[in-house]
Amino acid sequence: METIIKGLKTNRAFALFSGLVALLLLIAIMAPVISPYDPLEAIMKNAYLPPSAEHLFGTDKLGRDNFSRILYGARYSISSVLMLVAIIFVVGTTLGILAGYFGGKVDIVIMRFSDMMISFPGMILAIAVAGVLGGSLFNAIIALTIVSWTKYARLARSMVLKIKKRDFVEAAVVNGGKAVHILWTHIVPNILPLMVITAASDIGAMMMEMAGLSFLGFGSQPPAPEWGLMLNEGRQQMQTAPWLMIFPGIAIFITVVIFNLWGDALRDVLDPRQEN
Amino acid sequence: MKKIVKTTAAAAMIGLLALAVAGCGGGGGDKKPAAKDTLKFGMTNFDDSLEPTENYFGWSVMRYGLGECLVKFDKQMKSTPWLAENWKVSDDKLTWTFKIRDNAVYSNGNKVTGEAAKKSIERTFAKAARAKAMFEYESITSDGQNVIIKTKVPVATLPGMLGDPLFIIIDTSVTDRDYAKQGPICTGPYMVKSYSKEKTSMEANPHYWDGAVPFKNLELNAINDTNTRAMALQSGEIDAAVNIASGDLQLFQDKKKFYISEIASLRDVLARTNLREGKPLSDLRVRQALVSSLDRETYAKVLLKGTFIAGGPYLPPSVDYGFDEIKKLDQNQYNVERAKKLLEEAGWKDTNGDGILDKDGQNLELDFVYYSGRAELPLYAEATQADAAKVGFKINLKNVDYNVIDGMGQRGEYDLMISNILTLQAGDPEVFINQYVRSNIDGSNPQNGSGYSNPKFDALGDELIKEFDPAKRRALVIEMEKIILEDIPNFVFGYPQTNMVSNLSITGAEIQPCDYYWITKDIKPAGAK
Repeated sequence: METIIKGLKTNRAFALFSGLVALLLLIAIMAPVISPYDPLEAIMKNAYLPPSAEHLFGTDKLGRDNFSRILYGARYSISSVLMLVAIIFVVGTTLGILAGYFGGKVDIVIMRFSDMMISFPGMILAIAVAGVLGGSLFNAIIALTIVSWTKYARLARSMVLKIKKRDFVEAAVVNGGKAVHILWTHIVPNILPLMVITAASDIGAMMMEMAGLSFLGFGSQPPAPEWGLMLNEGRQQMQTAPWLMIFPGIAIFITVVIFNLWGDALRDVLDPRQEN
Repeated sequence: MKKIVKTTAAAAMIGLLALAVAGCGGGGGDKKPAAKDTLKFGMTNFDDSLEPTENYFGWSVMRYGLGECLVKFDKQMKSTPWLAENWKVSDDKLTWTFKIRDNAVYSNGNKVTGEAAKKSIERTFAKAARAKAMFEYESITSDGQNVIIKTKVPVATLPGMLGDPLFIIIDTSVTDRDYAKQGPICTGPYMVKSYSKEKTSMEANPHYWDGAVPFKNLELNAINDTNTRAMALQSGEIDAAVNIASGDLQLFQDKKKFYISEIASLRDVLARTNLREGKPLSDLRVRQALVSSLDRETYAKVLLKGTFIAGGPYLPPSVDYGFDEIKKLDQNQYNVERAKKLLEEAGWKDTNGDGILDKDGQNLELDFVYYSGRAELPLYAEATQADAAKVGFKINLKNVDYNVIDGMGQRGEYDLMISNILTLQAGDPEVFINQYVRSNIDGSNPQNGSGYSNPKFDALGDELIKEFDPAKRRALVIEMEKIILEDIPNFVFGYPQTNMVSNLSITGAEIQPCDYYWITKDIKPAGAK
């Protein structure tokens, strides 16, 4: 935590991107206050209006205000992606640490299971899982969790294996430290920064995958104002009402770029060795 | 050093990208040959075989310009001569005699005789269970160019039945063909060169009986995504396409480049309601409220950009079954206040202030089952969700695969279920009007999974089966329509227009009200006579 605060003071890029991330989160939280219209209110006589002063980003196929929908979409998209990354992070890291520290049968079971998972192309497996479960935002999170936790497990496991051989861990073992204690005080703090960096730089990619699933109809369902879903809905009018695709597309693009740059900057702050 | 590596890498990347882009564009840039001898057609399809007796694949066989029937439907859906020159029925209404044209030949040069047609009809009965549901015959005989069909009971619509693509006349003497992949030998203007679900190549039938075939080759491209189809037509990759989506139609308004043939189709976009006990819609007042809450005019005019006509009567305005007269009787036109009042009368109130009405602790929630294969269905579903919410319904949208719709309908696994359905089969609404409405007693009408049963409706249906006189049939159908309008076992969202859009390198690309005819000998290169 201290490093992060220090980073904010000394690393200008990190400060800037953190500010942008905070801005995004603020938009998501404040959506009800700053949206000019209700994102679900359909005034069908006003369908397909082009962008104007009244409707900044135009209106969609049911006459809903596109600008309000995009602001609300920030809530859906960002909160779901943060939840997804948090789940993957916790599940993957925990399993990886257990596998790395205890080895033996635990290791074999967890790692062979993870091998199985990565032997499929990720997105296709996610589509299959989401397809079987039925389309919903929650199911999309489950599907992406199932295919994405392995990366964290493998990373955590390899780092634990490395640290386990270090003298201070050996010393703790010789001193009669319990496994839980050793894991908590000696191992987790040492692998955490790298895990956090991985998670932070994954937010952008995960956002794309969530939007992808929604685009294909396996994620959020109408009438939710989710960006991927909005893209898909706009696709039908790609040539006649392009604003329905352009604005959600830009929203996804900007958000992904901001999170990716923030992830990179965070790495520079937490892991100075990697700088340049 | 590092900089050089970076620059080189960047240059290489740009080169690769350029190459990739060039690769993408390769297909579209062909120069057109001077004389147009190939027609390229874009369409949707559902067939994976050209066996006309299997599933509904006969539709494709006919749409592709391969197969023809004894009877054809004209623009008013009346039965007119095709391979049969004329027909007559005996006085006892049991024996039909169809006389086949003397000049009718198969694409292999064999003559279409009465005997050949007889064998083809018999084959259909042997292979397709659906045929028996249409009519049952006592005997089929042939005499020169005549086919004589004797039925067990009078069948008023028999000529129309023989116009169904199920009864495409094929040469049964040919046994060395794989019908699924090569198609049967038929009498249409084109014949199959190669077939796959994605792309089918056809060539002119040298023996075509009804004049010269205008194109040497015909390419049928299955482009099921409406957007892609529109873009293919814009870029000139195809010359004509069917069913351009409502939103895209305005892209083709330039009369110097495109020709739009648009017509009111014979279809309904229909919602079935589930009236089984315990379902909210089992209460007539709730059904009335639901329908009253929907602004079907605006859906048709604004959301679908005027490519639909707002729903009301069970049969579309394109057929002559008293549309205007029945429409006037519709109590459930858009009226939000009425909807709210009806729900209140039915005992639904919002007791917990969540915006959703409830009764006995149950929310007024409806599962709305739809599929997205047709662009208008999700739109109707979402519009319903938004409009019904304004009077206190909560509509849960369930997007399912088209193939499971039928089963879900039969098992009653829905509150509302939307589909796009052809109203006239064999040129007559009898099958359709009964399909989802006639009482299902111990599985007598499995298609009706809604639990709806009205003896008055069934009695009219029983009369309709036996009635030969067209005027009386029409009156019966109108009575049945009125019952449906009043009881709302189903209601109609709208009636689609259907279209065929072509570029000006061809002429005669006209859409027919009947869904069976796409490629005909009348589609010709521009400038040809």
